[in-house]
Amino acid sequence: MIRVAAVGDVHLGGDACGHLRPALEGLPQVADVLLLAGDLTRHGTVDEAECVAAEFRDLGVPVVAVLGNHDYHSDQQDEITKVLTEAGLTVLEGDSTVLPVGERRLAVAGVKGFGLGFAGRSCSDFGEPENRAFAGHGKQVAARLAGALDGLAGQADRVVALTHYSPVADTLLGEPPEIYAFLGNYLLAEAIDANRVDLAIHGHAHAGTEKGVTAGGTRVRNVAQPVLRRAYAVYEL
Amino acid sequence: MTDDPYYLQGRIERRLAEDPATAELGVRVAVHGGAVFLTGQVASEERRRHVVAAATEEAGGLEVHDDLGITAADAPTGAEELR
Repeated sequence: MIRVAAVGDVHLGGDACGHLRPALEGLPQVADVLLLAGDLTRHGTVDEAECVAAEFRDLGVPVVAVLGNHDYHSDQQDEITKVLTEAGLTVLEGDSTVLPVGERRLAVAGVKGFGLGFAGRSCSDFGEPENRAFAGHGKQVAARLAGALDGLAGQADRVVALTHYSPVADTLLGEPPEIYAFLGNYLLAEAIDANRVDLAIHGHAHAGTEKGVTAGGTRVRNVAQPVLRRAYAVYEL
Repeated sequence: MTDDPYYLQGRIERRLAEDPATAELGVRVAVHGGAVFLTGQVASEERRRHVVAAATEEAGGLEVHDDLGITAADAPTGAEELR
């Protein structure tokens, strides 16, 4: 069994720094790894990244993260990645990592993801340049996830796909349906279903629900902290 | 600008998302019965105060009801077994 702890949308910075640390101190007793599903900061600044680094460093388990849309807001995503990496976190964007857990191996493929929507209600890569940029980025991030997952199942006992945006509509339940295209992207799920993935973790949808499943039967969990209403969730794979 | 509650809701939502003092995309705004209602979870008491202050500034004298919560950060009590 591999125990995966996960949380997203912690939005640290300012007076929220340190809020999670008390609950994280006992993490090695209940989990083998901690996954962070993006929106680690509020404004995407290096100062806030320092707070994130302090919160999640030296926890006694590996910490693997993707960034979210808030972490891009100040165009400092590369600096944020550097701060987190220097603190010992692994930050994924279109790539993967394989972690030993006892005698087993856990693979995590990660990408921020983006909107696009869901089959029957998605945005197409067509028309004005602004619309093509939106939909084109949605297609591009899904292709990056597909690339990161390609061949990964052969390297590990369990595979987790980690994104900020949702691959399915199930876990958006509670959000206004009209904004689903800004919350998730069904091409992420198609990339997941084209591979053996044991669990898909995402955040972003604060008013959504925790549990869903892809069309191909992969379990999906929305770990946005306002959805979990706790510091993190633990999934045993 | 109009006083219509619909556009007021839009102005407050946009302010809460785009004002650096708030940067909150997860707060719900509703305007009913001549009052503004704020719901959702924010990460700290300070952020809650900033959200209410920004909404009050935009609300043009309407009463603002703070139904916000602070996101819980307790350790979980169990795990979910996925087979």
